[in-house]
Formats: sequence, C-alpha cells, structure tokens
Amino acid sequence: MAYAMDLQYLNWKVYLENPAEAEPHEWFKVLNGWIPDSPEVFVDVADYQHVQDGPVVILVGHYLNLSLDHTGRRLGLLYDYKHPMEGSNEEKLKSGLLGLLRAAKRLEDESGFGKKPKFKAGELRFIVNSRAVAPNSAETLDAVKPELAKVLARAFGEGAFAIEHIADPRQRFMVQVKATGNPSLADLIQRLA
Amino acid sequence: MKALDLVSSPAAAYWKQLLSDRVNPKWREDIDNFETDIVLKKRGKIEDKLFAETRLRMGAYGQRYDNGHRHDGNESRTIPFPTDLNKGPETKWDAPGMERIKLPWGGMTAQQLEVIAELAEEYSDSILHVTTRQDIQLHYIHIENCPSMFRRLAAVGITTREACGNSVRNVTACPIAGVCRDEAFDITGYANAVFAYLLGHPDVQDFGRKFKIALSGCKHNPCGLTNIHDLGLIAAVRRQPDGSIKRGFEFYVGGGLGAVTYDAKLFTDFVAEDEVLALTQATCRVFARLGEKKKRHRARIKFLVADMGIDKFREAVLEERAKLPADPRWTDFLATLPKFDEKAARPAGKGIPKTNDAAFDFWCLTNVYPQKQDGFATVTVTLPMGDITSNQARGLASIARKYIQDTMRTTVEQNIVLRFVSESDLYDLYKDLATIDLHQAGAASIVDITACPGTDTCKLGVSSSRGLAAELRTRLATKFVQMDEAVRNLRIKVSGCFNSCGQQHIADIGFFGISRNVGGYIVPHFQMVLGGQFANNGGTYGLAVGGIASKAIPAAIDKLLDLYLTRKNKGETFRAWVERTGKAVIMQSLGDVTAVPAYDADKSFYTDWGSVREYNVKDKGIGECAGEVVSLTDFGLKAADREVFEAQLKFDTGDWQTGAALAYKAMVYAAQGLVKMYNIDVPDDPEKVMAEWKERFYDTQKFFDPFAGPRFAQFYIHAHEQRGAQLDKEKASRLLQEALLFIEAAHSCNLRLSMGIEKGKDGIAADIKAAGAKPAKA
Ligand code: HEM
Ligand code: SF4
Repeated sequence: MAYAMDLQYLNWKVYLENPAEAEPHEWFKVLNGWIPDSPEVFVDVADYQHVQDGPVVILVGHYLNLSLDHTGRRLGLLYDYKHPMEGSNEEKLKSGLLGLLRAAKRLEDESGFGKKPKFKAGELRFIVNSRAVAPNSAETLDAVKPELAKVLARAFGEGAFAIEHIADPRQRFMVQVKATGNPSLADLIQRLA
Repeated sequence: MKALDLVSSPAAAYWKQLLSDRVNPKWREDIDNFETDIVLKKRGKIEDKLFAETRLRMGAYGQRYDNGHRHDGNESRTIPFPTDLNKGPETKWDAPGMERIKLPWGGMTAQQLEVIAELAEEYSDSILHVTTRQDIQLHYIHIENCPSMFRRLAAVGITTREACGNSVRNVTACPIAGVCRDEAFDITGYANAVFAYLLGHPDVQDFGRKFKIALSGCKHNPCGLTNIHDLGLIAAVRRQPDGSIKRGFEFYVGGGLGAVTYDAKLFTDFVAEDEVLALTQATCRVFARLGEKKKRHRARIKFLVADMGIDKFREAVLEERAKLPADPRWTDFLATLPKFDEKAARPAGKGIPKTNDAAFDFWCLTNVYPQKQDGFATVTVTLPMGDITSNQARGLASIARKYIQDTMRTTVEQNIVLRFVSESDLYDLYKDLATIDLHQAGAASIVDITACPGTDTCKLGVSSSRGLAAELRTRLATKFVQMDEAVRNLRIKVSGCFNSCGQQHIADIGFFGISRNVGGYIVPHFQMVLGGQFANNGGTYGLAVGGIASKAIPAAIDKLLDLYLTRKNKGETFRAWVERTGKAVIMQSLGDVTAVPAYDADKSFYTDWGSVREYNVKDKGIGECAGEVVSLTDFGLKAADREVFEAQLKFDTGDWQTGAALAYKAMVYAAQGLVKMYNIDVPDDPEKVMAEWKERFYDTQKFFDPFAGPRFAQFYIHAHEQRGAQLDKEKASRLLQEALLFIEAAHSCNLRLSMGIEKGKDGIAADIKAAGAKPAKA
C-alpha cells in the first residue's frame, strides 16, 4: 500500500563510460579547484584511493557532497544531498538529479583531466540515504515510484526507462534506472531544467 | 532549494522514538541533554568554550579546514559559508566535524560494525577509520546528526561519552587478550570493568586534561603499550601461602608520548584484582586534585608524577585510598569475568590448510597468529591507514558471522582482528576476505603503516601524515614480497605534528611533521625518529635524528633500509644498528637524497603529499618571503640545529651531561638567532640572550604558537634556570627533547613572523625596521 513519504537525503549516481581512464589524483586536483567559486558551500576534498567499494575522492560540502564513487564496484559520480529540503517530492527528486547532471557536465567540460571523463547518461542509481526516511522495502518502492517515474519521464521520455529495485535488506533504499535510448547529459539537463 | 534544520528533522524524531526504550537510561539522559545543548547553542544560549567541552565529552571534535581559504593552485580565496561558519583551526562549532566512537578494549560485535557502517553511510562519508587507540572515527559529521547517531549506537551497546575531552579516554587492551600464548591471564573483563566503573564517575569529571588507560596481558610483548599511558596495568599472578594463585597487576603511572615522552613509573609490582579499581579510583582522585588545571601543556599526570616523584605520588594515592568509602563495584565485576570467555563458532582445526596458493601462504605468515587454544588462530585484517568502507564493513561483519562468534577487535595499529578462527577455515576465510579486498598480507610489517589524521582533518597538523603514509605504503608494497625479513618486519609510524597521535616514538622508523624555511619558502618536512621499540609495551622511545623534506622521505627510506641491510652485523636489530652506526653517520649517508632543490628547479618539494596547493605562505594569503636574503636569524637557527644534533651524539655515547649542556647551548643559539631580527649586536652571553629574547619574544608573546602557547618558550626558561645542574639520564633526555621542540618552535616563530609582516626590498620586516634593525651582512 502506498503511503505519503517525505523524501529527504537523496543521492543520485551516474556511471563513467570510461572508468579505466579515471585518474583519482586528477579528480582530486580538479575537485579542489571547485571549492573557491562554486555556488555550493564546499569545504574540503578527501582522498580515499586506498579503499575499495566506496568513495574514491570526495568533494565535501556543507549541504552536499560530490564524489568519484566506487560503491557497488562501479565508478561514477555520486551526488549526495545531506540536509533535509523543503518542497514536494517531485521537486526534490528533480533538483537532486539536475544537480548530479550539471556536475557531471561540468566535469566533462573540465580541462584538468588527461583523459576527460565521459558519463553514461542513460543509466542512473537513485538512493535515499536514510533508513529512517525510507526503509529498503517494497512499501517504500510503492511510495516513491509514482513521483520518481514522473521525473524520469520528463528526463528520458514517457515509457523510455525501466526502474529496478535493489532489494538487499542491508542496503539503503535504492533503485537502478535504465533508459531505453541513449540520451546525452545535455539533453537530460535541458529537459529537466 | 531551502535547507531545513537537521536537529529537528523527521528522521531524527524517528530514531528518538524508535530507540528510546532500547537505550540504557543513563546513556539516554546523556544523549537527551546533549540534544538540548545543541538547541540552546543554536539559540546562542551557551558560550563556545562550555559547549566545546560538552561536545568533546561526547566524542565530537572540530575538524580542520583551510582558514576560510582554499587554494586552487592559482590563488587562495575566501569561502562563503552560511551564517558565520568558518574554516581552519578556528572552525565554528557547527561546521562538519569528526565523531570518535569509543570501543572499550577494541571489542566489537558484527552487529555493532554494521551499525557503524550505516552511520558512516548516512551521516559521514562511508568511511570508518580505526584509530591508534582502538576507536572508530567518522569524519565530516554535522553536529545536529549526533543525537541520532548516539541513539543508534547506544541501542547496540556503544556510548561515545568521554571519547574526547578532559576525561578517561577509551580503555585500551591487547587485541589478542584471551588467546595470547604469553599472557598471565585474559585481561578483557578487567579492562571492561575499568571502563564501566570510571565512565561518568564523579571522580573523573574534574581533570585538567585527558587520562589514558591501557591493560596488557604480559610484560614483554607490545600489545598493551602500557609504557606510553597515563595508567598502565600489566597482568601478574602471585602464589599465595596456601598455594593458590592470586591474580593482580603491575601498576604503572605517568607514561606518555606527546611532545616530550615519559616512561611510565612503577607504582607497585602487584595490586590484587579485588583492589585494582579502588587504587585506580584513588589515582584519579589525586590527579583531579593535584594535577595542573590552568596550563594545559602541563596538565597530564606524567608531569604531576615527575614533579612529585613517584614515591611522594604513591604516598598521596595510598593516603587517598585509605580514605575512600568502600564501593561494592570494586569486586562485583569479578563474578562477571566468565562472561568475557570467548567461544568458537566452529570446531577446532588441524593445522593451516595446505594449498598451492603462494599468496595465501604468505598471508598466513604475516596475518595469522596461532592461538593458545589448539586448532584456532587470530587473523589480522589489515586496513590501509585504518580505513574501511561501509560496504566492506558489512562484508566483514558477514564473514565474522560465518566463521566466529562476535570475537572481533580493533587494534592500535589501525587494523581489525578476527579471533577464534578454526585453522581448517583459514583458506576459505582468506578467499572470502579477498571478495571484499581485505586479504592483504603484511600485518605489523613495514607496509602496515600507522598514521594519525594529520593535515587531512586535524587542526593541529603541520604536515600530511596520511599523504606520506599512503605514498610509502604504495611504494613499499611493490617490493614487499622480495624484501629481506629484517627489513620487512620494521614498523613505520607517522604523526602530523609533535603530539604523537601516530605513536612515532615507538616505531623503528617514525616521523612527525615540522616545517622549514628553504630559500624563503616554507617546505613541509618531517622529523625522523629512529630506533623506537614497539615491543615490551612500547618499552623504548626513539630519538629524533633530523628533519627531512616530505617529498624526500621515500628516497631516504630506500637508502636507509639499504644501508641497514648492507652494513648490519648478522642478526643485528635495526635499533642496535642505529645505535652502533650513530645518527651523524646515518644522516650524513642520507645527505644526497635529502637535499631540497631550489624552488625554481623543482617545485614539487614545495607541495605536500596528498595536497594540490603549494605548502607555502601563499595559502595564508601572503606572498613570498625574504627570498635570497639569508638572515642572521636563519644562521642562528642553523647553528642551533647543528648544536642540538651534537648534543644527541653525546647522548648516544652515554655522555648525557655534555649532551644536556650542548642542548641548552643549542637553545641559546636559537633564541639569539631570533633576537638578531631586532638587534644584530646581541652578545653571546646566555644571560643577555635570555633577557633580550624574553623582552622581545616572550613578554610580547611573539614566540607563542597559537596552540602550544608559551609551552615551548618555557622549556628554554626552565633549561636556563637549571643550567649547570647535574642531571640524571632521564632528565637529560627530557632536556634534549625539549631543546629540539624549542628549536622547532623558533623555526616556526621565524616563519610566522616572516609571513605576517610586509618586508621591504632589503628583506627586513617593517616592524623590525622600526625597531632599528640593520640588514644582515651575511
Ligand atoms: C583534532 C584532532 C586531534 C587533536 C587536537 C589531538 C591532540 C592531541 C594532543 C595535544 C596530544 C598530546 C597530549 C599530551 O601530551 O598531553 C595528543 C596525543 C595523542 N593523541 Fe591526539 N589529537 C587529535 C586527534 C587524534 C586522533 C584522531 C587520534 C587517533 C588516531 C589521536 C590519538 C592520540 C594518541 C595515541 C596520542 C599520544 C598518546 C598519549 O596521549 O600519550 N589523536 N593528541
Ligand atoms: S599528531 Fe598532531 S596532526 Fe596528528 S592527529 Fe595528533 S595532533 Fe593532529
């Protein structure tokens, strides 16, 4: 049965098309460069190249973190909003996804990489980073799906994507989103903005 | 989109409601009070200083950011922060900080590990960091999330109370207690009793400074490190007249690392198990009553014991003990000791499985310890720099459930051990660990490097200890398997500053962060400390042999190891070789790899490991220093470095009287060098140097470090007052360490002044010129 859920602490991840070419030390340098003049309040960059299945390099902010992320053993860009937000679920979902896509685009356009990162805009992971807000259950899926689908339809087109629930009870609520087409970051940003 | 308040979020309310019945009522009260304090602080009703101690006592530390500036490689800019949040050592209370989770004796169940993994994910950065005192830390935590975290921890039996602050810190113990082949008896239950008895006890709320307790099951192995602790208990047994065996402890007080190391003093060689809590309590009361409260840098018990002398101190404690009203808890815990007897989950094995897997065999060599219980082993899971991700931690919890019964512990070398693994399961366990990338060999070896947080997150960091450790680990790992055993088993430990959180004094090769001026630029350096001893409970401290630029250290280590291997006598330990060779010869031999290239020749030396910014004054918003003009101050400081090095050499030959005299002389050179900023004609007479230095640097507080305050200045004043006195070896050794620190502080003072002051073309600072200085004719 679906119930009203106030979605908070939303995470979005987009995967790298060329993970083998990612050089963590370059990411470290580039992300450091974002601190001074980003509108978000970033405070530090943490380097975790020595661990597996988790963050690699994190740009830590007061409200949100952005990271080169290896969680689930696939490299990508993770957008993690850490404060509760106002607004409807749909607005919050859209705002997080747009935040991710814009950061990904900014990275693709950065000059500081030897081999530029390229993102697969057609595959996303969505996570609710709070076991209090969203237990990883079928009920949560029912509650989240309608608004999530609305935002994804706007991005990818009606019926042009599939949502798969990752039902591991030890993990946070998370779904994998796969688009049927092959959209670009710019397309998605334009449609969502 | 507008962000809402965290502390009153629905998620916080959810945990509060869900868990309130599952939390020990006393702990619940602590957490509720802390939550109220946060709300009051937000409304400006609690002053900063009080709130700081409140939050520290709950384990919440401020973290370092770069002074409200961050350098992007081109220029340094101010970071706009909401409200009046700021960064740098003076971060405001609500900037993201660190939370220390206290694990008494390192004990941790699979469920607890899973909960910490969840907290790391939801409130931190998905990294769990094991510390050098068996705690786990999470970084970048919003303080408003702390009450939820505390409730979730408390629901699985963990409190963070007194994890920091001026209180009894985590009680540490050998990670192999109970399975150790050499122990007198299992000290786990005793360690737990000490923790439980002192937690929140009224007698430990009024300390001038922190108090660290460690227990060890035996004297000769390193595990408990009692020698470096405020209070150290080593298990001992006594045969009674009736033939029965009585358990008790050797009781040590007043050891410590930090800036100046102290060996713990033997208080008594036997305190019976039914008396140990009472004597511990009496010791705490004496420390609370007589310990220094105002001068933080003199407020550890090691200073009190040294000042009173162990005999007087003992007298005071015994007097206090006699007055203590009896407390049933002193002995009640004895009945609960069997609760700490661990059981295996699986039947005993019959030896380590034979395989054709060379990597497994090698891992067994370094990471598997055969227990005293036949057929079982303790496995060390090596964590690079103490870090493990949330997913790995969950994986490890599952592995623990599969093979053992909740018998995991953290170690002071920043690893996790799994105890009571059936030997027959070792290969399967190894393969399971490989699935989560935690099967690396090399526990307690040269690649298993310990590092404090350093400039990554610690406000006091000078150099990047984690950056250096990561670099060394990566480089040494490539040669690890081929390494000669004599080298492979050495230990490296790194601290970001003189406070020794990384325990460099008890490593074969240790480093602590310092900075040096090279041609007018600040260059990150580390002091190298050689020949410390991890064995014998951290039995012998190493001595600083000289500063090396951070970027030169990997090459210096290669060369040092090579020298040792080629020149050591058969069977000669590293420490013995260091002593025989002498520091002068060692530093000289490293000379060609430790030189710092000029800024224009190689800029990489001017950026620390793990940093994108040049480590120079730019980061603080000021341009280059004096440049090519080598000042008389620099010459004075150089003379001080030379002299203190000579002092160390004398000390090594056993002539500590001369060593102490030279150490004092070195301090005079350093002070005189500083005075020459203002008066190049200052005479060599030590009285005059002291008078001028005092007037210009002490009374004006120019010498005072923002954190250490007058601490290092007082070392010089004290040495001046004591000059010529006969010193025993221990006092002379301390004087030598103090001289090193004073000289480091003089270097920093010189850097600070050269940074903070506009210089004219002649290289002389405006306020110095006003004081009538002439350009150096050097
Ligand atoms: C904001 C971060 C930190 C600050 C400001 C800090 C401060 C200090 C200071 C001032 C000392 C010297 C104490 C004395 O001699 O009186 C010290 C020692 C020590 N700290 Fe820290 N520390 C920090 C983080 C840590 C961390 C993260 C760890 C664990 C990894 C740690 C473990 C230790 C240890 C093991 C010692 C030396 C042992 C001893 O007390 O004798 N510290 N710390
Ligand atoms: S040794 Fe210094 S830099 Fe390292 S954690 Fe301790 S206080 Fe910080």
